[in-house]
Amino acid sequence: MKLLRRTLDTAYLIGGVIASFFLIAILVIIVLQMLARWTGQVFPGATDYAGYCMAAASFFAFAYALNHGAHIRVSILLTALGRHRKWGEIWCFGIGTAISTWFAWYAIRGNQISLRFNELSQGLDATPIWIPQLSMSIGTVLLAVAFWDHLIRLIVTGSHGITTDLVDQSQGE
Amino acid sequence: MEQLIPIGIFLFVLFLLLGSGVWVGLALMGVAYVGMELFTSRPAGDAMITKIWSSSSSWTLTALPLFIWMGEILYRTRLSEDMFRGLSPWMARLPGGLVHTNIVGCTVFAAVSGSSAATLTTVGKMSIPELRKRNYPETMVIGTLAGAATLGLMIPPSLTLIVYGVTINESITKLFMAGVFPGLVLAALFMGYVAVTSFVSKDFDPDPEPPMSFTEKLRNSRFLIPVICLILVVIGSMYMGWATATEAAAFGVIGSMLLAATQGSLTWGTFSESLMGAVRTSAMIALILAGASFLSLSMGFTGIPRGLADLIASWELSRFQLLMALLVFYVVLGCFLDGISSVVLTMAVVEPMIRAAGIDLIWFGIFIVVVVEMAQITPPIGFNLFVLQGMTGHEMNFIARAAIPMFLIMVVMVFVLIAFPDLATWLPDNIRKGPAS
Amino acid sequence: EKWDMPMAYAATNFHSEVGAAFASCVTEGTGGELEIVTHPSGSLFGGAEIKRAVMTGQAMIGERLMSAHQNENPLYGVDSIPFLVSSFDEHEELWSIAEPYVSDALAEDNLHYLYSVPWPPQGLYTNKPIEDISDLKGLKFRSYSTATAKMAELTGMLPVQVEAAELSQALATGVAESFISSGATGYDRKVWEQLSNFYEVDAWLPRNAVFVNADAWSDLSDESKSVMNDCASTAAADGLQRSKDYTDFTLEELEKNGMTVERANDTLMGQLKEMGEVMTNEWLEEAGEDGKAIVDAYKGE
Ligand code: NA
Ligand code: NA
Repeated sequence: MKLLRRTLDTAYLIGGVIASFFLIAILVIIVLQMLARWTGQVFPGATDYAGYCMAAASFFAFAYALNHGAHIRVSILLTALGRHRKWGEIWCFGIGTAISTWFAWYAIRGNQISLRFNELSQGLDATPIWIPQLSMSIGTVLLAVAFWDHLIRLIVTGSHGITTDLVDQSQGE
Repeated sequence: MEQLIPIGIFLFVLFLLLGSGVWVGLALMGVAYVGMELFTSRPAGDAMITKIWSSSSSWTLTALPLFIWMGEILYRTRLSEDMFRGLSPWMARLPGGLVHTNIVGCTVFAAVSGSSAATLTTVGKMSIPELRKRNYPETMVIGTLAGAATLGLMIPPSLTLIVYGVTINESITKLFMAGVFPGLVLAALFMGYVAVTSFVSKDFDPDPEPPMSFTEKLRNSRFLIPVICLILVVIGSMYMGWATATEAAAFGVIGSMLLAATQGSLTWGTFSESLMGAVRTSAMIALILAGASFLSLSMGFTGIPRGLADLIASWELSRFQLLMALLVFYVVLGCFLDGISSVVLTMAVVEPMIRAAGIDLIWFGIFIVVVVEMAQITPPIGFNLFVLQGMTGHEMNFIARAAIPMFLIMVVMVFVLIAFPDLATWLPDNIRKGPAS
Repeated sequence: EKWDMPMAYAATNFHSEVGAAFASCVTEGTGGELEIVTHPSGSLFGGAEIKRAVMTGQAMIGERLMSAHQNENPLYGVDSIPFLVSSFDEHEELWSIAEPYVSDALAEDNLHYLYSVPWPPQGLYTNKPIEDISDLKGLKFRSYSTATAKMAELTGMLPVQVEAAELSQALATGVAESFISSGATGYDRKVWEQLSNFYEVDAWLPRNAVFVNADAWSDLSDESKSVMNDCASTAAADGLQRSKDYTDFTLEELEKNGMTVERANDTLMGQLKEMGEVMTNEWLEEAGEDGKAIVDAYKGE
């Protein structure tokens, strides 16, 4: 049980770390593209690669952001529920689990469609689109897993285990 | 309208999901799904992925995480403190005190970034802690920030104006120039509001700044030099033709890292914290954008925005009536859609109305921007509200209420624009060349 | 039944207007049995998504710039081989040969080809007069595709990659100093604010194709199909005429706003044609037998 817990939390964190590499990659690509332009070179497909990195930097971090309470929601009603809050949370995590699972399912399907039709990028890079789309499939699956994880924990232990990041919330102090 | 029942269901689901506390991005997806199922027989899931992939992997979006990262770095340097040390001796004497730094900061940063979210995170990360430290009323701090950050869309460069210009084939250079004066006027209106409230409101009782002689004030201004350099580098890179508006964000990140390094605050710890902070914030925004793009597709299939625009067209209104009708229309639409989507979804019907009424399309672009700015701060779907919620941890209704005065000021701005159309049209009419030539 | 028709360009663009006329032609012709609703400006699906959306039935019908997909199949780029044709009439000749091949290629992607309309011919925008190909050397040239990147390489221009959305800003700030596009782009983007010369070199005439999801097509009744086909041929003819008219109109507008609009002189045109020869051969290498058959048949005529 403990091992499973550690594995899952590590998986979300790794997602976040991978996303951060892609964020750095966006910076590097943009800088290279500018250098190329100033020196009269071409960096074919730079904008497309930056776009793929953008997608990867988002999708890989979805679960990580959820785990740190970074995804936002309107919690007036939940607060108002007081000691019955658990039932409100179960509703929220239930809906979240359903939608994120549906999202992941179709992300994989969409990825397969790109592979089946051999869709190529329309830019200079001519990348087979299914390759960068893997970030979407993996990231959304990770998000769905995170939702199932929190939902089950919520039902079993009564608490969902999302810790709001102190650094994020303490900016005021 | 036989569509009344489906529209009702649609709105019900929207309020149910958002109101009950489902995460915003996922709630939007859920609503969009219901819309697809109600209004079209096309496969909802496949269409969603097509749309979400293309919106999430877009090149123009890359500036957003970079500007957010820049904000995270600056927030972890002494830069924000320094900026306030430099500004406070000058601003503190103004009625409203340091709240003005929110507005001035947003105005300046608006000239660097094309989006309101990036403006909001960068300025907010720096100013919120400093203003709270000095006991400024929270509603004032949050409200002015929510409102002033929307200047990112009006003061060039502006993503909204690019989309508008491409949609109706107007010169983007001209649109950009048209935004300059209205942007400054709107900023002035915000500052005027702050000044007046500081006299009227009892809550407005910040800690006084220590008195300072003029030479001391000047000496303290040296702390502003690094910030000014950074801003000059980012803006300069665009106007000197070194970088496009998107690439300028890279200058911002590297510049702020260099700044942090010279101050000695760039350690492995601050670097990785800023990076991971940026990853979390941009993932949060990306999930909402993904949901919003699917919702916009779903709305396109439902035909609701276009139907409403058609309805207005059928009333055959006078010029002023038309503008008022469109104001109400876009405010209502702006409650549920992001600004760019509402422009794209309706322009096909609205553009001919505007041309027929003899309204200048450059001027109308600025009108649209003001309305889109309002959409950023109106609940239930208001982007700046979401970002501020993520940043401050306040409840949505608190932030939305804090932003109401800003919303009203923007309504006033619409009438100012109608009364003085030259505000928008004078600059583009009188300068034919681009900024660099 | 209601079909949504995503289109990439603004509602006032002539392609969108021809598409809207086609849609109402079908709606009326079938007595409302099949209603087509157009969604211009990429308001439903954006340009880059339209082909995928129609292939997989997310939309039943759509319009797309064909050459955007030439990475997937070089045949989609047959309309964009630089300097192979040099007028509307030559282009139509080439297209009449290529059309069945492209139609087959689309069929493999689960699409039924209906009709297509050419854009105005692509000309060269510069910020100074060009007499000879050597005048181009060192000019910052917007390259956005394999063909334009290759042109920069062959002429010694400095390629700068600029996205369509950033074109105006890139010209205003001097990031780009020249580019290839139709008179329409220059008119739409008001490039006379930055550039001085437009050369009619008729480099190529890209086409927008309208296609239907193949399954949806085969489910249609024979009557509906024949209505669609009739409306399609009206739209194609109408679109061609409007493209020609629009070319004249936009070039006049460029001139009115102070640009020098002229045909490239014989020396320059000859040099460009030579370059075109190189690029045609490169395209042929990729396009295989079908490509060779098209170009041979075209040159043989
Ligand atoms: Na801006
Ligand atoms: Na809103």
